Amino acid sequence: MTPLDTPMQRSQSISIASVFERYGLVIFLVALMVVAAIASPTFLRPANLVNVLTIAAPLGMVVVGQTFVILVRGLDLSVASLMATVAVLATAFKATTNEAIPMIFIAAIALSAMVGLVNGWLVAKRNVSPFLATLAMMIILQGARFAYTGGAPISTLPPGMGFLASGRVLGIPVNLITLAFLAIAFGIVLHRSRLGREIFMVGSNPKAAFLNGVAPDRVVILCYVICSVCAGIGGLFLLGYVGTVSNWVGQGYELDSIVAAVMGGVALSGGRGNVFAALLGVAVLVVINNLVLLLGFPIEMQLIIKGIIIIGAAAFYRTRLA
Amino acid sequence: MSAIAMDIRRNRLMLSYLIVAVLLVLLAVAGGFLSDRFLTWRNIGNLLQQLIVLGMVSLGQTFVVLMGGIDLAIGSLVGALTVFLANFLEWRPDLVWLALPLALIAATGVGAINGLLTVVLRVHPLIVTLGMSSIIFGGTLMYRKEPGGSVPRAFADIAYTKVGGIPISAIVLVVIFALAGLWLQRTRTGRSIYFAGGDREAARLNGLPVDRIVVLAYALSGLCAGIAAIFLTARTGVGDPRIGVALTLQSVTPVVVGGTILAGGRGGVLGTFLGVLLVTMLNSLLNFVNVSSYYQWVIQGLIILIAVGIHSSRRK
Amino acid sequence: MSASVIELSQIEKDYPGVKPLDKVDFAVQPGEIHALLGENGAGKSTLIRVMGGVTKPNSGTITYLGKPVSWQSPKAARAAGIHVIHQELALFPELSVAENILVDAQPRGMLGLISNRARHARAAEILAQLGVDIPTHAKIDELPLADQQMVEIAKALVGDVRLLILDEPTAVIAGREVDLLFENMRRLRNEGVGIVYVSHRLEEIFEIADRVTILKDGQLVGTSPVSALTREEMITKMVGRRLSQIYPPRRAAPADGPDVLSVRNLRAGPRVRDVSLNVRVGEIVGVAGMVGSGRTEVAEAIFGTRAVDSGVIEFDGKPFERKLPKGSIGHGLGFLTESRKDDGLFLGLPISANIVAPDLDAITKRGLIDRKQERAVATRQIQDFSVATPSPDVKIGNLSGGNQQKVLFSRWSRIASKLLILDEPTRGVDIGAKVEIYRIVRRLADSGVGVLMISSELPEIVGLSDRVFVMAQGHVVGEIKGDALSEEAIMDLAVRSVEDRNAGMDQHAEPVG
Repeated sequence: MTPLDTPMQRSQSISIASVFERYGLVIFLVALMVVAAIASPTFLRPANLVNVLTIAAPLGMVVVGQTFVILVRGLDLSVASLMATVAVLATAFKATTNEAIPMIFIAAIALSAMVGLVNGWLVAKRNVSPFLATLAMMIILQGARFAYTGGAPISTLPPGMGFLASGRVLGIPVNLITLAFLAIAFGIVLHRSRLGREIFMVGSNPKAAFLNGVAPDRVVILCYVICSVCAGIGGLFLLGYVGTVSNWVGQGYELDSIVAAVMGGVALSGGRGNVFAALLGVAVLVVINNLVLLLGFPIEMQLIIKGIIIIGAAAFYRTRLA
Repeated sequence: MSAIAMDIRRNRLMLSYLIVAVLLVLLAVAGGFLSDRFLTWRNIGNLLQQLIVLGMVSLGQTFVVLMGGIDLAIGSLVGALTVFLANFLEWRPDLVWLALPLALIAATGVGAINGLLTVVLRVHPLIVTLGMSSIIFGGTLMYRKEPGGSVPRAFADIAYTKVGGIPISAIVLVVIFALAGLWLQRTRTGRSIYFAGGDREAARLNGLPVDRIVVLAYALSGLCAGIAAIFLTARTGVGDPRIGVALTLQSVTPVVVGGTILAGGRGGVLGTFLGVLLVTMLNSLLNFVNVSSYYQWVIQGLIILIAVGIHSSRRK
Repeated sequence: MSASVIELSQIEKDYPGVKPLDKVDFAVQPGEIHALLGENGAGKSTLIRVMGGVTKPNSGTITYLGKPVSWQSPKAARAAGIHVIHQELALFPELSVAENILVDAQPRGMLGLISNRARHARAAEILAQLGVDIPTHAKIDELPLADQQMVEIAKALVGDVRLLILDEPTAVIAGREVDLLFENMRRLRNEGVGIVYVSHRLEEIFEIADRVTILKDGQLVGTSPVSALTREEMITKMVGRRLSQIYPPRRAAPADGPDVLSVRNLRAGPRVRDVSLNVRVGEIVGVAGMVGSGRTEVAEAIFGTRAVDSGVIEFDGKPFERKLPKGSIGHGLGFLTESRKDDGLFLGLPISANIVAPDLDAITKRGLIDRKQERAVATRQIQDFSVATPSPDVKIGNLSGGNQQKVLFSRWSRIASKLLILDEPTRGVDIGAKVEIYRIVRRLADSGVGVLMISSELPEIVGLSDRVFVMAQGHVVGEIKGDALSEEAIMDLAVRSVEDRNAGMDQHAEPVG
């Protein structure tokens, strides 16, 4: 039981803890990279690093969105299904020229926003638990997608889509530029804008937010829309990376995005977290995955490690900041 | 306050059951109209045979949800156990008597570990069981990537044997559900699942051993996954690490459809049983009228939303 | 003197930086009703938690029935015959009355299975013993709050209780129910049960208790027979200073300015049936009444978070178009809510964010938060309200209750230029902070803000208000002002009107919430 009169003196230790919280992850990431560099000379080669980052980029985009939803005490299990659905949608234009690409983007974002709107509406207005609402959405999207493709992979894509994955501008991979742009834009929204403040207020205490003149429902819905749009964009980039559209593009990203966010210190209880720390979580995750490969361990080991770190990270932040 | 409104409030769970039961009858009638083979003994027998796997995992999920948690490791666990059983029995077909208890003990143990982790680390059960699911799945895949193994004929029979035209698995399922219902309603330990799910702090203040109840619920969920895995292995004859992937989320649907609320403390196994019947019958019907399994997913998603919508809107 | 039922010696409880219990000795004899007195935050609840096995003390010994014990859990204490009725109801709203009463003692019949019939029979028996008529099949959330409290009390009559601890059981019950409770307490006392009784209503202490122990700031002030103390002595010991030092001087002349708020014949839901009241510019108006009398709901209706069925609310002389909290805030109306943690604070956010919360417009430029401006506002408010913190960036969860409350005052007083509604403004803060808060409230009123203050603490209502409205069962039943203002006058009005009403109408009230 926490006493009502919690002392001032604790602020000191808390700030040390929060410093540790912030830099602990960086230290962990650096340590991991050192281990990786020692264990395998290939790790630090530019080709490998670029490869790692390329894999990380679409996941990073999803994590940016997932962070918004988790901040308002939610959870989005439909992101991966949405990514694949967006990918399928991109093929629906049966376009072989690059003129279709803007159309594809507009359609993808529109679909994503709609999905987010429905998720948010279910959660905010209908009081459906985020778990069930987004779970149902995940299954529905999956069914719709398969019904359209008949289960077969498709590869009718404008050639330019590959540019999203492997293209470079000034030597920097295009997908990283996009991720950076998304992260900075949404980072500003979250940590500098009025909307961001309202998001933190709603996540910290929805009732108090309402009494202070914020409309929590609107904020929550907006967070789900942002999450879905980020996932949709991530889907397009992942599609470019994979090249063909299997119906399972992005599978596992729902779990990975949550793992990364939690590892980055975004609290599932809402109201606490940082987009950039969440992205550090992504980096840790992909470096671990890469390390498993470089060390010649079976790829399935990634699953085991992922499982351990999500439980461990959640327990860590819980005891740190209880 | 009118007495009638009061009565409805009190029996809202009964009302949930009634709605699902009516839907079941409607489905059966619709099935009869749409296909003259739907209401044949043969099809009903098939239908009953399919119940056990979904039924058991949903029952396990019911225990956990009633207690206020959620178990997302069920599917991986079932997959791992089918791999264990099929490979073990391929190696020593004569040791069925050993393999089955081993599987059940392992399953219960994994469940208990889930419970212990949520209690000791005080991490949200969603995270704990999601993490465990990943660990189990990864471990299973490291051992066997592809479906494999085989089972002796005698073992396979438990999935197909019928007594008086009724599959033995369906009888087992009904008996287990009846026992579970009796246990939840009429024993002190069973009731304490409701207490812990209704309000954990109140349960603690009332002197109930909350932590033990939590672990027990997860252990039971594991045990149920074990039973599901035995029948699943017997039916398919192989161990498939991926066979459980979809089961985790499928196990939630009948629970929600049956009126058990995700927050815990309200609901029951009868609702889950009806939910299992409804989902199984609906899928069977959709197969009969040649709706692709893809649309079945869409429909399953909609069912969840509709069920939550119905149950939550009456909860005012 | 016979051996104590329970004897606590040199009990200490430490949380980082606070000491809710500092070397406290406490003993209860069999067959006595022992009152435990102290201000909010004095350590009563912690002491109760220690006795009930909910909290483990850091040091000190507990002797129960002659043997040293160290409870590992509430279960252990309960098994040994200690029953605690906590301030918060420990009931399961979805389950039946019978099941709640017999939560850990469900009667078993055939095959060791719980027998439904025996359960209801036994529960009915216990309720009859208590003297109340509550249907055993009803679910808890269908019952009015008072009945829920009686169910909680009924649980104490199950099984073999040697030590019964009641923490403010009369907060939500009145009249006949209190009498029934006292009757049963006396009966148990005569059977040799030791009873610890916590209440902030001193008249109850004089009526029922044999001895009284007073705590202040986690320390023992003393134990003595109730008859050896006067009411004033008790208050002085509890508070540690004389009443005259606590409340700021009232304004010299009665306020005669225009009404800033005028409410006439307000109906809003089942708890607000007929409410008329007014607040003048620069005036502190108290609203007293039992918990559940509809006080908070009136505040919600005024602020715009509760639908109004009929009646008039005039604000600043004009009919008030209330559009959600946002609209009210824009009109210069502030609402400091009852539960700091539930609907006041953003615990994980810094102090600055908590201060500027209702008025983000003032610090927003082109959609972005102007952090410099925010800091400036926060720093000024922190100084004005003497919040003890090294920086506005400290998370508010790390402040003491009193300082948190001061932050909330600094939040609302900034935007409440016309009217500030306070709901239990000093709950859970220590006496030092209370005195500061009273001065803040008076200062705000003097600056021309109208203050509507809801409080369960009668001394504070009487000590601070210029006028008081008394509510009972959704009605304003009277207005008291000037020299007529006293705790007795308020209690009289509140209790009498409840009894009148109960005599006059069917008591089967509708379910709450």
